[in-house]
Amino acid sequence: MKRITGVRKTVALGATLTLAAVLSACSNGSSSAGGSKTLNWWTWDDKQAAAYKVCATDFEKANPGVTVKITQYNVADYFTKLTAGFVAGNAPDAFQNSVQYFQAYASQHQLLPLDDFISKDKFDLSRFSVGVNAWKFTDGKQYALPLDWAATGIYYNEDALKKAGYAEKDVDSMTWNPDDGGTLGKMIAHMTIDDKGRRGDEKGFDKSHVKTYGYGEVAAKDFIGQTTWSPLVDTTGWRLGDKSSWPTVFNYDDPQFVKTMHWIRSLTDKGFAPRIGQFTDSVSDVDLLSSGKVAMESAGSWEAATFVKVPGLKVGIAPTPYGPDGKTRAVLSNSNGNNIWAGTKNPDLAWKWVSYMGSEACQSKASQTGTFFPSIPASMDASAKALATKGVDLSVFTDMMKNKVLYPSPVYGNGAALQDALEPLFQAYFAGQKGDSVFTEMQSKSKQLLAKN
Amino acid sequence: MVVTSQGKLTTPTTPPSAAVTTTATDLGPTPHARKVRSARKPGRSTPTRSAAARRRDLPAALVLILPAVAGFAVFFAYPTLRGIYLSFTDFHVLTPPQWVGLANFQQMFGDDVFWHSLLVTVYFVALSVSFGTLISLVTAVVLHRVTRSSLLRGVILLPFLISNVIAALVWQWMLDPSLGIVNSVLKHLTGHSILFLGSGGWAIPSLAAISVWKWMGYYALLIFAGLQTIPSTIYEAGRVDGASETQMFRRLTVPLLRPILVMVVVLTVINSFQVFDIVQVTTRGGPANASNVLQMYIYDKAFRQFDFGYAATLSLALFALLITVTFTQLRLARANESDLT
Repeated sequence: MKRITGVRKTVALGATLTLAAVLSACSNGSSSAGGSKTLNWWTWDDKQAAAYKVCATDFEKANPGVTVKITQYNVADYFTKLTAGFVAGNAPDAFQNSVQYFQAYASQHQLLPLDDFISKDKFDLSRFSVGVNAWKFTDGKQYALPLDWAATGIYYNEDALKKAGYAEKDVDSMTWNPDDGGTLGKMIAHMTIDDKGRRGDEKGFDKSHVKTYGYGEVAAKDFIGQTTWSPLVDTTGWRLGDKSSWPTVFNYDDPQFVKTMHWIRSLTDKGFAPRIGQFTDSVSDVDLLSSGKVAMESAGSWEAATFVKVPGLKVGIAPTPYGPDGKTRAVLSNSNGNNIWAGTKNPDLAWKWVSYMGSEACQSKASQTGTFFPSIPASMDASAKALATKGVDLSVFTDMMKNKVLYPSPVYGNGAALQDALEPLFQAYFAGQKGDSVFTEMQSKSKQLLAKN
Repeated sequence: MVVTSQGKLTTPTTPPSAAVTTTATDLGPTPHARKVRSARKPGRSTPTRSAAARRRDLPAALVLILPAVAGFAVFFAYPTLRGIYLSFTDFHVLTPPQWVGLANFQQMFGDDVFWHSLLVTVYFVALSVSFGTLISLVTAVVLHRVTRSSLLRGVILLPFLISNVIAALVWQWMLDPSLGIVNSVLKHLTGHSILFLGSGGWAIPSLAAISVWKWMGYYALLIFAGLQTIPSTIYEAGRVDGASETQMFRRLTVPLLRPILVMVVVLTVINSFQVFDIVQVTTRGGPANASNVLQMYIYDKAFRQFDFGYAATLSLALFALLITVTFTQLRLARANESDLT
């Protein structure tokens, strides 16, 4: 018996070793071979991976012998995969990055500062209208070129709006306040319909059998609230951090914020918006509107092109509402960055590619798909024009940019830990498991985690 | 009580021990070697093999155990020791670990989420062990007493053949609040649907149910094998004494199955403490940490937040917990004794 186990273990060990050899052989496959060089670039967005193929082809033509390999991994695995790559030494030469992970990677010396390249090439950063400062680290160095910008808009079902007796200009001029929700609140109630056809503001409305919700999933766990509560509460002058860059605390305990959360929870209590968890994570904003479960919702600008293409449904886009003063709109805009890995074997080539991606030529071509908004104004105009011919009207978002409605998303450290600590608290509040004490808890948690940079 | 009177019945089930047979055969052919060895080291010599013979076998033995030892050292011993070392450090993978002493342990004892995760895990373990064992036992007994069909026995095992991730995905679809078949039926019957995986109160019971469903067949099969070691004459005697089917189950089957049941319980406890895949696939610890079992929390700390030092500390705590639980269980249940002998 003993011998048999021994043999079995040997076989198992041998198999494991072979497997390990095979795996390591695979991971080394992409490095440069002979005279030709392969440049790896990663993104988490499948649509952008497809869009940037155009740039890759042009870049390869201009640089003979260079192959650009664009790889996309789902956002849920992207950063784990990236970190594993840093450790194993096979991370991509350059990659798309989110501000949430900027501090973690920069402080652990995984990102290459771009200042030397920028001054050597006399690369003009002023070509970008947004996002440059988001990628300046605490050491004052520039670590990335901004890839895009994003905003939030209100998407609505045009037929549902007409049936409710509203015109387009009513949505475009909506107001909101944290006490009664303003005209937005009234519209949400009126556009909610139960299974017997009664509207949310009519007598006998049955909140437990709602057919169409007046508003989308605003009661969400997102701790920045980019596409949910942020465009609302920001109109009161509230901001997430105490400073726009490297804040020391998030202002969740502010009375304006608390009132906003009360208003949002009242929407789900009244049956005007879906409760948290009612639809699983696999159900997207686009699904909710196109299936008729929701008549109106706030969602990211990056979904505009998808919304407009939904067959058999006319989707209108409106700006987010004015605040309590009747004239202030405020929308947070975040910019993803294009980083170079500090461990790359071809830093010069990687910079060449990154700077090419940050050029008007590449941005204008790649952004025609409408899946992202380029940070270069000329490219943005070109992209908006190209999309307008396809029936996608982006003027709501370009106006936000022109009218200075947008403000840059805060840059903060320890993003993953903040997310893991704060999201359960938002979930607990919206599920009714926790009361107002949760906001003090959120504020102190944020202070504690932001200090741990 | 019935058991002790069955003395002679047990003889065929426990054959004469192997050691006895080898002693008898080995002693004869090698008397000379034994004489030399035993004179020098009487304490270490065995009655079975001479020391010289053992020394001749030594190189071969070393060669044979080398792969196993090497495998153990590389894949078990080193990772364990390194894990223990990392639990005393601040380690974020990309920079070398920094010794911080007991800071991680201090953080752990003051960490609400850790204690909450521990409670959630214990709740999950309690549910899946109690229901899992009970359902497997009943299934096995029914299989044993009612049917002889090996097809049916095979069917019971089917869920065990599916990978955990697939089982969790399929159940997630079936329990989906808007599309799932379970909720469609519920809505038809009661007019309401239940957020099985989406509400704090239901998340852990739903996960435990998936886990029980998945493992039931396997444990039922183990218990079934145990049932087959109980001689049928015992039941005949029981029937002669006028015992009913339930009485025989309680008075005969369960006590005689004790070693197997103990093994099943120990296995389910260890298995349930390690629950991770079905949580990762379905709820990812949510909503509001309601299903944030310890493994999930460790995974998030290590692979999402890259706080490997603290994650190692949490793992060490889980390790200590599992060892304690298993030891206590084995002690309390006297697993190495059988009532059959």
